[in-house]
Amino acid sequence: MKPFEYIAPRSLEETTALLARAGTDATILAGGTDLLVEMRRPNKMRKRVVVDISRVSELGGMITSDRSVVIRPLMTHARLQHSELLRIAAPLLASASAAIGSPQIRNRGTIGGNIMNAATCADTVPPLIALGATVTLRSAAGTREMPLSSLFLRPYQTIAAPDELLTEIRFPGLTADARSAFIKLGRRNALSISRLSVAAILRIGRDSRIAEARIVPGAAFPTWQRVTAAEALLLGERPSARLFAAAGACVSKEMILQTGRRWSTEYKEPVIAVLVRRALEQCAAPALPEDGK
Amino acid sequence: MTTQRTHIIGRGERRVDAFGKVTGKAKFAADYSLPHQLYGATLYAEHPHATITHIDTREAERLDGVFAVLTAKDIPGENAFGIVIKNQPVLACDIVRYYGDGVALVAAATREAAEAALALIRVEYAPLPVLTDPEEALLEGSVKIHGDSNIFVHHKVRKGDIENGFAEAEIVIEKKFKTQFIEHSALEPEAALAEPAEQGGIRITGSVQNLFSSRRSVAAALNLDLNKVQIVQATLGGSFGGKDEVMTALCCRAALLSLRTGRPVKMVNTREASMRESYKRHPYVLSYKWGAKNDGSITAMEITCIADGGAYASMSPFVTWRSVVQATGPYRCGNVKTDVYAVYTNNTYTGAMRGFGSPQVNFAIESMMDMLAEAVGKDPLELRLQNCFETGAETATGQTLDHHVSLSEVLTTAADAAQFSAHWKSFRGQTSGAKRRGIGLACSYRGVSLGAEGTDAAGTIVSVQTDGSVIVSSGITDMGQGAQTQMSQIAAEVLGIGMGRIQFLNTNTSRVPDSGPTVASRGTIMGGSAAKRGAEIVRSTMLKVGSHMTGEATGALDFRDEHLVRMSDGTHLATFAEVAAECFRRGLPMYGFGWFQSPKTSWDEERGQGEAYFTYVYGANIAEVEVDIETGKVDVLRFVAVHDVGRAINRSAVLGQFYGGVAMGLGYGLLESFDFEEGIPKQLNFDEYLIPTSLDVPPIRPVVIEHPDPAGPFGAKSIGEPANELAAPAIINAIANATGRRITELPATLERVLLGHALSRTGERGSQHKTSDESCKIRPAGL
Amino acid sequence: MTKIPITTTVNGTVHTLEIAPHQTLLELLREGLGLTGTKCGCEIGECGACTVLLDGEPVNSCLVLAPQIDGRNVSTVEGLMRANATDPLQDAFMDHDAVHCGFCTPGMLMSARALLAEDAHPDEASIRTAISGNLCRCTGYVQIIEAIKHVKP
Ligand SMILES: Cc1cc2nc3c(=O)[nH]c(=O)nc-3n(C[C@H](O)[C@H](O)[C@H](O)COP(=O)(O)OP(=O)(O)OC[C@H]3O[C@@H](n4cnc5c(N)ncnc54)[C@H](O)[C@@H]3O)c2cc1C
Ligand code: FES
Ligand code: FES
Repeated sequence: MKPFEYIAPRSLEETTALLARAGTDATILAGGTDLLVEMRRPNKMRKRVVVDISRVSELGGMITSDRSVVIRPLMTHARLQHSELLRIAAPLLASASAAIGSPQIRNRGTIGGNIMNAATCADTVPPLIALGATVTLRSAAGTREMPLSSLFLRPYQTIAAPDELLTEIRFPGLTADARSAFIKLGRRNALSISRLSVAAILRIGRDSRIAEARIVPGAAFPTWQRVTAAEALLLGERPSARLFAAAGACVSKEMILQTGRRWSTEYKEPVIAVLVRRALEQCAAPALPEDGK
Repeated sequence: MTTQRTHIIGRGERRVDAFGKVTGKAKFAADYSLPHQLYGATLYAEHPHATITHIDTREAERLDGVFAVLTAKDIPGENAFGIVIKNQPVLACDIVRYYGDGVALVAAATREAAEAALALIRVEYAPLPVLTDPEEALLEGSVKIHGDSNIFVHHKVRKGDIENGFAEAEIVIEKKFKTQFIEHSALEPEAALAEPAEQGGIRITGSVQNLFSSRRSVAAALNLDLNKVQIVQATLGGSFGGKDEVMTALCCRAALLSLRTGRPVKMVNTREASMRESYKRHPYVLSYKWGAKNDGSITAMEITCIADGGAYASMSPFVTWRSVVQATGPYRCGNVKTDVYAVYTNNTYTGAMRGFGSPQVNFAIESMMDMLAEAVGKDPLELRLQNCFETGAETATGQTLDHHVSLSEVLTTAADAAQFSAHWKSFRGQTSGAKRRGIGLACSYRGVSLGAEGTDAAGTIVSVQTDGSVIVSSGITDMGQGAQTQMSQIAAEVLGIGMGRIQFLNTNTSRVPDSGPTVASRGTIMGGSAAKRGAEIVRSTMLKVGSHMTGEATGALDFRDEHLVRMSDGTHLATFAEVAAECFRRGLPMYGFGWFQSPKTSWDEERGQGEAYFTYVYGANIAEVEVDIETGKVDVLRFVAVHDVGRAINRSAVLGQFYGGVAMGLGYGLLESFDFEEGIPKQLNFDEYLIPTSLDVPPIRPVVIEHPDPAGPFGAKSIGEPANELAAPAIINAIANATGRRITELPATLERVLLGHALSRTGERGSQHKTSDESCKIRPAGL
Repeated sequence: MTKIPITTTVNGTVHTLEIAPHQTLLELLREGLGLTGTKCGCEIGECGACTVLLDGEPVNSCLVLAPQIDGRNVSTVEGLMRANATDPLQDAFMDHDAVHCGFCTPGMLMSARALLAEDAHPDEASIRTAISGNLCRCTGYVQIIEAIKHVKP
């Protein structure tokens, strides 16, 4: 690793002041599971200052306030995976955290780092977008809040300025009648980045018709978004295998519209449709295993 | 041979090196350091094939903390090594032939300084056309990597009359298979620490697998006598065949830097350097054509294999020789024509890896067997039992198997344990559900040790101390497979003592005799036989002294439970330590040097006939899988592994080889592939080169079958490699059982299982590239 | 670059050190403190050979910056023995032949140690998950899982 200056501020204010001073010279370090891998590459490390935010207590923890869940960026995947709160308010996020890397990675890797690294295969992002999360960025100059989906510019790039810190992730907890699912497909069963993933939320009304649907694929689109065309297909309909398959096909079509045909399309085209269908099936019949067997 | 009554042989004794390894005390090569050591680093080629037109090291030399910058011209001796064909340079001189060729070396005070110096070395290249396709390498007009032909090995087997064989056939099955490059992926990357020796010469401590061949090359490169080059094996963090030539290169480089600077020089490969430079398992293109009768008996086998040898010869001649001997599998067939070629390309060179030429052919053979079963309407087990070797059978090379051939027992044991036939039938017709079950079978026979291609002898020293403790050392190395424990256990058995008395010394080339390479699963049979002889020499001295001490005839005495005992009633007459002390008092040697040379083998290169190996082992694997036919994901649910090992010296070490072999075979079948794009490796670390994790390996049910072989110590044969050569075909056959579709290229990735071919990213974004798998041809003969 | 002072507890011993900030915890342990039991296999968090416990939790020491352990507790394989006696976990590894080449062993032991601290009788599924960040090329994991199942409390 190339040498650098290391600073570990203890408060949010100190951190933003430091970042303001350092400008583009600084990089933020949280769990380090993305950053240290990056810094090891000979020509990648150009920053002179590493600002370690892991000791800023204001950036840790998770709370609920007026039906919103607020997650601070330093929450590790291990904490999210085992959180009782999430098990009820956002089980799909807990599943996504549980599917990340390995126990060691989950003990260090943070949700803030996962978001800010902005890899297309980041596993917590599809669930968060499905949940309608907003994020707060803060710098010495002030704060701004925005929907998570508008944070990303392109793979590995967000709109955050170098001196801006992600301080909060906020989303309304799922209501008792909502069901959710997160499905990840990797090449092996641990230490595997997502080849494809899907986060889905369904709410089925008293009349047994779909009252709300949200579908967010991962590692399929250049940036994440709900696939509203597929969601629209579902609204007002009764859940059925045919319907879910149609929604899957629609997501697949949307994917190709946006990305064009690439070397991997031949595989992703049918498989994203299958994963969407399965995620919806899981939502509709949470008690039943896949395939309805 | 019947099983001899033994005390300690066969038990799952703790490994002799386990304590050091669970406490962190074990010292692997990178754990050694010396005062004032420098750090060495290698500059690699920037092109897979190019002429070096100019190297400028001046700027690097001027950097603070840099002590030496060396290139090929600084090598005082021979800049070429290789066990069969010496064409691999320690440092590339005029031409680089693959992306992992070393071009220059640096020794510096810190690792950072060494890295920084590498970046300052200016090398100018004139790129040459890059050859990456082994089939293209065969063509007249192809680029030549060495000399005027890329074909550097052609092994043949000719038996019977192939034309007649096909004329007799009622069905002909023809199929092309492909296998991939495999990275050994020992968890420990290569490391060496070289220091100038007191009396001149050099001493190297390293993660070296084949110390004696590395020593030969270091001596040649430095112009030193063999006795001036001492290589000490550090505890080895896995090898699987992979720490041979790449370690030879590293030892030579560390030694060069050390002698030049007069300081100890430590070189530790990063994982990226290791994957970039180290040799791989050969990818093969295998063309199989079999003729058979409608009843399933095989009348003809015509086989052509092309092995990609990469840039240098390395072990290719030996590896491909095993392929040619075993290419027909353990099946009777009167008419065989096999040709195995190894060719040069600009891919990373390929060499020894666990299996040593068998995993590739087994994949083809066992796939063919299932296809034949399908074609004649038999169950795969039935067809194998019908065709497989029995005692007295004649192999494709004309060798009569006069030992106990247990293959049908091995097969039926495996099939019973997995309820193979019932499952196979019930899984066949599945038409609904996304998750389909499948079960697959594979079996093999395998020649033990080096066979007719190599000099095969080994030495082990058993030295009893005056207090009755024992030191054992051997030219056979332990890479984690437990060779030290097995040799110790054999010595303990002969001497009637517990394992606690034995201390095993890591191999040191200056203290034990050249015992050839520890490859080809020869550790137990060769090192163990030598250990047995060594211990027997000491034992006979000690028995004579015991006889003097007690007045009993030597024939009436034995050593057991750490005592000299009277055999008739088991009375303890003296302790082992007392007898040892008495030997010393009488001035008698308690040092046994055991030397073992393998029984005779023979080979006629032209016809490919002969007694290829002195004995064989037999094994069968059964995999049960679940295939998600909508995503292509395959999970292995259960596994049965059955091997006749002759005799298990250490039961748990033998089982450990079963398990580890299956896991590695699972990687071969489903996950692993070391890929190149125009000769440049695409994966350089474990984030992209995927080996199985604990969540990918299924529960494995092992069954050990023991038919002791007179050729081995206490009847033991081998297990390290047999354990690794069957899992992939068993899994591939299981996938075919589940889906009705056959995969002919390894590994069975998500894409291959779902689409029938692989997808790969090519140079331009957005373009699509398929590597299409050959379609199967099954047709009635004569069409 | 300036060195920075840290105080840290490694295997129960308090160390006050001046370190270069661009060092990883793995480098500090192996080179700075001579604790070579912790192994280096990939330096990118994939192999788990460098696993140590940081305040009781398994982490990849190659992905922790040395200054980050200021004020914290690190346990490595060298700390498993107590008063010259092996830990029951170490005994189980030896007795079940869970150690082949031994390169993955220190990291495996630390992951297993953390699991057992939470659950003295883990089932096979939780064992497999707990060691899923520790690659082993030798054993196929079978004997390692057996060993962890059979640790005597
Ligand atoms: C072996 C391995 C396996 C992995 N597996 C997965 C996986 O399965 N799925 C997956 O999604 N990811 C995976 N990852 C990636 C990584 O672990 C996650 O993205 C993790 O959540 C990153 O968090 P961190 O705290 O470690 O980030 P860091 O490495 O500390 O930071 C990552 C980036 O985010 C920035 N950053 C961090 N926090 C903030 C903040 N509060 N404000 C502004 N910027 C910030 C940093 O400057 C840096 O650019 C894996 C990584 C490894 C090494
Ligand atoms: S060295 Fe840290 S995970 Fe491999
Ligand atoms: S014992 Fe060798 S890697 Fe696990």
